Amino acid sequence: MGAAPKQIDAGAEQMPRRKFLGWLSGAALAGSSIVAMFSTYVFMKPRATYGQPNRFRIGRPEDFPSGVRVSIDTKRVCIVRDGAKLAAISTTCTHLGCIVAPSETGFQCPCHGSQFDVDGNVTGGPAPKPLAWYQISLTPSGELEVDKDSEIQMGTYLNV
Amino acid sequence: MTKEKNSMVKALAGLPKNVWKSVFRNPLPSSDRGRASTSFTNFFLHIQPVRVSKQALRPSYTMGLGLISFFLFVILTVTGVLLMFYYVPSTTQAYDRMLDLRSSVAFGIILRNMHRWAAHAMVAVVFLHMCRVFLTGSYKPPREFNWVIGVILFILTLFSSFTGYLLPWDQLAFWAITVGTSIAGYAPLVGKSLKFLLLGDATVGQEALLRFYVLHVVVLPAVLTIFVAIHFWRIRKDGGLAKPEEVVPVKAQVAVTVQIEQPVAVASGAAVATADAAPRRFTIQGLVRGPFVKVGKLEEDTVFSWPNLLIAEMVVLLITVIGVMVVSILFNAPLEHPVNVMHPPNPAKAPWYFLGLQEQVSYSAFWGGVGVPALELLLLFLVPYIDRSNAGVGRWFARERVWANTLFLTFVLINVVLIVIGTFFRGANWSFVSPF
Repeated sequence: MGAAPKQIDAGAEQMPRRKFLGWLSGAALAGSSIVAMFSTYVFMKPRATYGQPNRFRIGRPEDFPSGVRVSIDTKRVCIVRDGAKLAAISTTCTHLGCIVAPSETGFQCPCHGSQFDVDGNVTGGPAPKPLAWYQISLTPSGELEVDKDSEIQMGTYLNV
Repeated sequence: MTKEKNSMVKALAGLPKNVWKSVFRNPLPSSDRGRASTSFTNFFLHIQPVRVSKQALRPSYTMGLGLISFFLFVILTVTGVLLMFYYVPSTTQAYDRMLDLRSSVAFGIILRNMHRWAAHAMVAVVFLHMCRVFLTGSYKPPREFNWVIGVILFILTLFSSFTGYLLPWDQLAFWAITVGTSIAGYAPLVGKSLKFLLLGDATVGQEALLRFYVLHVVVLPAVLTIFVAIHFWRIRKDGGLAKPEEVVPVKAQVAVTVQIEQPVAVASGAAVATADAAPRRFTIQGLVRGPFVKVGKLEEDTVFSWPNLLIAEMVVLLITVIGVMVVSILFNAPLEHPVNVMHPPNPAKAPWYFLGLQEQVSYSAFWGGVGVPALELLLLFLVPYIDRSNAGVGRWFARERVWANTLFLTFVLINVVLIVIGTFFRGANWSFVSPF
């Protein structure tokens, strides 16, 4: 007679276990999908790029006399020198990525008419942000090196 | 010996007929039953229903826009695969391959022209198809989710076209993609990494060309094909194209499929004669829920798919192919100078379907490029869940839907005007110019 209630117990126990395994499978599936998606993201995001290096040398300080503003289009950077102060300002327009050209008043974008002052501040047009300033340093060999990976604050000069 | 020879001859003589009959299960139909059977037993035809409502066949109702989109996709697949045989996704070779298509590849020009114009046409026709579905109220229950799939297909079409835009590697391509991906970079938080992921580099270069190529020829078409299949399947499952209220049957209808079971012999001694006399037992094999064509109205409202629907489809296919061919013979696909990273054209313009975006971006970078478009897409996705009224389904510009239609047309008009301004009224430095 005692067998009947025991059977009901077993039945009641079985459902939570089945449910638990169901949850576990679901969680495992969701976890695997997240891992798979993340791995794909890591795979798709290149560790090394094959394009131009973001750190490059541009010559010696003597190559840039005071008052000069030289735009190096291949590197998309403009070297500015005022007395002893040197700076590298980005020539990539912050609007839609065209190359800005140095002008009398600063920089001018040919694509959509954005205008910047000599420091790269937006003075007109659709550009949302000022032009970036890049770290510029003097290597032990006496050459100037620009690092486009590190942006510095506007008005930070290298004194040479 | 002679008997065997005779049967051999007989088999040989019957060979063509036997092979034909093994491929095509039915002779050309001459009866209604044959017409039904033809639709049913042919792989390609069984995608369609056996009978189709007359409304769905009226050119003035659908204008065949969905079908034209599909046929353009087929043309693009065929011409695209052919072009792949001569194309190399390399910054040093891609442009030369474009020149080769012009000079040394047989039919190279016409294939490239067809691919280019069909791609532009597909963007436009898919959008027009969406307008048709909205203006006829065809996204109402039970078709809500098929509208959502349609919006996904529209986005996939845009991306397919956009990724293909870079492949010729000329000035037009390079700067359009530079501008286009910069718009993506305005997205908050993910924008910068999304742009980097898409380009595989900080700027548009070899990595971007390879990535766009793989997306263009494999990933996007594969995803597009799957969604097209779901789109078509759901049209069937949702009861065909949307029909006006009078024809829409009661929703709660349930069809019952029954199968007659052979009576089970109770005892081994049971005589065969008793089997006939035994009562028939029925079991339910399945329940099918959903809208059906009413049995009573079958004759007047519907016609057989074979040949009515098939002929209609073939006419649309013919018109599409002829249209693409004529345009491709008359106009050459543009090919500008090879990429010069140092000299952006003034103005640099995105592909025409993104020029509305670019026009918005010139007012506000974030809101024009990301905020407003994201909001618009979200609203598009939610259309069938916002508009829950069931009135005015299956008719153009139904009076009950005057508000919904007005809102939608305003949205369409604003975007068209922005695209027209961006395309024709913007000159050097994105200043306003008159094209006249």
